[in-house]
Amino acid sequence: MLLIAFNFVREQRWPIFVLLLWVLLLAFLGLVADIPRMREDLLFLFKQVAVYVVAFSIFFGGSAIYNERKSRRILAVLSKAVRREQYLSGLVLGVTTACAIYCFALGLTGSWTLGAAGFPVSQVWFLMVCLVAACMLAGTVALMFSTFLNPFLAAGATALMLGVPWIASQTVAAGWGYVIPVSALTNTVLKSTFKVPGHNEWFPVGLAVLETLAFWAVAARIFSRVDIAVAVE
Amino acid sequence: MTGMPAALEFEKVSKEYGSFASRQSVRALDGFDLRVETGEIFGFLGPNGAGKSTAIHIAMGFMRPTLGQGQMLGRPFGDAAARRRVGFLAENVALYHRRVDRLMCFYGALNRMGGARLGERAREVLRMVGLQDQAKRNAGKFSRGMVQRAGLAQALMNDPELLILDEPTSALDPLARVMVRELILSAREAGKTIFLSSHLLSEVELVCDRVAVLHRGKLVRMGRTSDLLQSTEQTAIVARGITSDAFGGAVSQNGLVTMTVPISNQRSVMQRVWELGGEIVSVNPVRRSLEQVFLEVTADAQPPQPDGGR
Ligand SMILES: Nc1ncnc2c1ncn2[C@@H]1O[C@H](COP(=O)(O)OP(=O)(O)O)[C@@H](O)[C@H]1O
Ligand SMILES: [Mg+2]
Repeated sequence: MLLIAFNFVREQRWPIFVLLLWVLLLAFLGLVADIPRMREDLLFLFKQVAVYVVAFSIFFGGSAIYNERKSRRILAVLSKAVRREQYLSGLVLGVTTACAIYCFALGLTGSWTLGAAGFPVSQVWFLMVCLVAACMLAGTVALMFSTFLNPFLAAGATALMLGVPWIASQTVAAGWGYVIPVSALTNTVLKSTFKVPGHNEWFPVGLAVLETLAFWAVAARIFSRVDIAVAVE
Repeated sequence: MTGMPAALEFEKVSKEYGSFASRQSVRALDGFDLRVETGEIFGFLGPNGAGKSTAIHIAMGFMRPTLGQGQMLGRPFGDAAARRRVGFLAENVALYHRRVDRLMCFYGALNRMGGARLGERAREVLRMVGLQDQAKRNAGKFSRGMVQRAGLAQALMNDPELLILDEPTSALDPLARVMVRELILSAREAGKTIFLSSHLLSEVELVCDRVAVLHRGKLVRMGRTSDLLQSTEQTAIVARGITSDAFGGAVSQNGLVTMTVPISNQRSVMQRVWELGGEIVSVNPVRRSLEQVFLEVTADAQPPQPDGGR
């Protein structure tokens, strides 16, 4: 399982690298900019980069199985003593690790640039934990849809699944954001300002972990039933 | 049923590939029965699109049969624990792009191998397939034939009891084919079972104890390779001391006359040779090539269906 996770991260090293470039951009801005004066801009960029990673987790999760299948590499892996659910947990872990690497880098630059601008550093790391949790859940939902849909539809379905509670939380009641806490978690990141850095609310993080397990279980159920029919030669 | 459990057994397996989009389905396997005994080299023949890969993928648990069931090493298809004792080489195998020695360790570790043994075994299998000098090269830069060798090596990592090879020699040069043949034979020496799929009859003919011929998802022939090749209808009689014009269709070469006659005529032809003062050198059943067998069983084939496989 760890092997599959590590393997996934390795295979995705280029996308992850490209993502890290964004973080580098933030770091670069922090270097050249007059931090106290531009601090609102920095925070905005920080949030923007943070949202990208959630989008990427959906992309990673939605395309992982498809890519392996298309390249036929999945056959050599599944021909080993690897159960389907183990394969899936490897992918969940891989997606999470990929996003965690990114969040770690973002956390480092964030605590330096934003920290210099007067944003509490511990809060930066708390936001990163929220972000990793959000990625894990979003990636798992995407993975679940991708067991039976192609990557485009899977990403669409995931966006719908995560988007509907988000819209409801904006229009109906904030509580809806907790149904699938990705929106609540991302909101925590997005709502933080220099005046109100946000409060440490661990509840959505724990909920995200639980829901990840639930979606993983559903995904494993579906995946153990689908045919891994690879492309015909 | 014999006492020994079969290494691989299909029971009335059917598989249909459906497609939501085109609303048509392809029946790749149709009530397919097969039993592979422990310790034999079994050849699985069939033209392209016959359903060989489909059957193998069902056995490996990549897909579920539409109907029917089966066992591999005494466990139902798809059992992960059974796969641990199986080596599988996919048709047109694809591997990750990284150093081959590490790649071997990765695949070995997926079968829960570990420790010093893992690296040692990786070197061993690479030597077996003749890639020992390429161990530090990236598999992404390999030629097709080399990838296929690496694929064979990863299938051997766990020293499998059952080796399932789907067209293992399709991209290999003649030398490498000989290597594969020797690998297969030495695996049998070690008591392993080998299930070898191929559309190349000559490959199978040389190593397999038994063969099955699959055609459009149905088993059309099965038996010992020698029986299948033996014609029950014709014998070849070689005689000396007569002229070839005494018999229609006889061929004369270096003083020997060879004639191929129906078995029912064998006796009278021999008597006639003796009457003419000739001498019988040999009488043998005619060996057919598998190509002939192949042509016979596929003779009924109508032109391929429009949606049929390539
Ligand atoms: N993934 C798939 N989707 C739809 N049809 C398939 C698929 N794989 C194989 N087929 C069809 O099933 C039949 C058998 O294919 P296959 O098992 O690959 O044959 P073989 O390995 O004997 O060449 C072919 O007609 C092929 O077109
Ligand atoms: Mg095939």
